This record gives sequence, C-alpha cells and structure tokens, in this order.
Amino acid sequence: MTEAAKSSFPLRAVLLAVMAWLLPASGHLLLGKRFRALGFAIVLLIAFGLGMRLEGNLYRPVAGQPLSYLATLGAMGVGAPYFVARYGAGYQGKPEAQGFEYGTIFLLSAGLMNLLLVLDVWDIARGRKEDE
Amino acid sequence: MSHLVLMTTYAALVAVFFSLLWRRGRQQQAKLFLQIFLGMMIGAILLGWLMYPFPTGPAAPIP
Repeated sequence: MTEAAKSSFPLRAVLLAVMAWLLPASGHLLLGKRFRALGFAIVLLIAFGLGMRLEGNLYRPVAGQPLSYLATLGAMGVGAPYFVARYGAGYQGKPEAQGFEYGTIFLLSAGLMNLLLVLDVWDIARGRKEDE
Repeated sequence: MSHLVLMTTYAALVAVFFSLLWRRGRQQQAKLFLQIFLGMMIGAILLGWLMYPFPTGPAAPIP
C-alpha cells in the first residue's frame, strides 16, 4: 500500500461502521446524533425483542438451502444481539409457536434495518450525505 | 397477540425507522411516518380483502 493510499484509508469511518453493526444505533450515537440514535435503538430493540418473544426463527445456514445463507446474513445484520441470542442464550426459535412467522419477520427486519444504519453511518462519516 | 396488533406494530416500527433515516425535521418526519404507516396498513387490509375469493389451501410446511 502506498503512502497516499494509507493516508486516505478511512479508518474512522470503518471503525464507526463496525461499531454501528456490532451495537445497533451506536454509530449514530458516536456521530453525535443522539436523538436519532435513541429512536433507532428503541425500534431495533422492540423488533428484536418482540421477534424473540414470538419465538421466531433466528436464521442460520442450512446446507442445500442457498436462501438460508442470505437470510442468515440479514439476521446477522443486527450485530452482537444475534450472537448473544444464538450462542449465548442458545436461542433457536420454535416453529410450532403461534407467532413463529411474525417473529421471524421481526428478527430479520431488525437485522436488515441495522445494516441500513451501518450504510448511513458510513455515508455520514465519509461526508457523502448532507447532514444537519 | 392478534394479527392486527402485530401488523400495526410492525408498520409503526418500519415507519418510525424510515422517517428517522430519510427525513430531517419533525414535520417532514411526521409526514413520511404517516405515509409509510398508512400505506402499509391500508395496503395490507386491501390485499387481504382482494385475496378473499382465493381458497386458503393446506398449511405451509414447517421449515
């Protein structure tokens, strides 16, 4: 890597994006967007919490089912809560639960929404997005 | 929880999220919130009503 390339490496933006992925809404908080960070945190917390309460499917890769890989990536978008729920709490979801389908949608949506937040943080940190 | 409560909750969460993400200023955010929320609610009810004539069919297989 050249000196010029090294100096232009967007380390701050990368760190912010990683933080935004790991801890939902933390990217906006670190950027000083406290009100929005609070709003995003509440939305994601409710979506993820309700998804687990309804015992929805927290996607994991299933051999021979290519779409399960995409869904897993989407669900992993929520960051640390995915890994804490799956590996820390041993959460799996319950297909026979009444709210299984709704729960799955809530869990997947939480991951996808957080991925959008990561992109938003990246754009703001790189100065690509006009912000107040 | 009933389907309607869950659907309303989902629509509200999505509407809050995108209004905060895409708009600046309370008035603009409130406007987009209403557009998304009402669009999802009315759209879902309309779609459900349009699907009335179709038979329900067998239950979906458990993944």
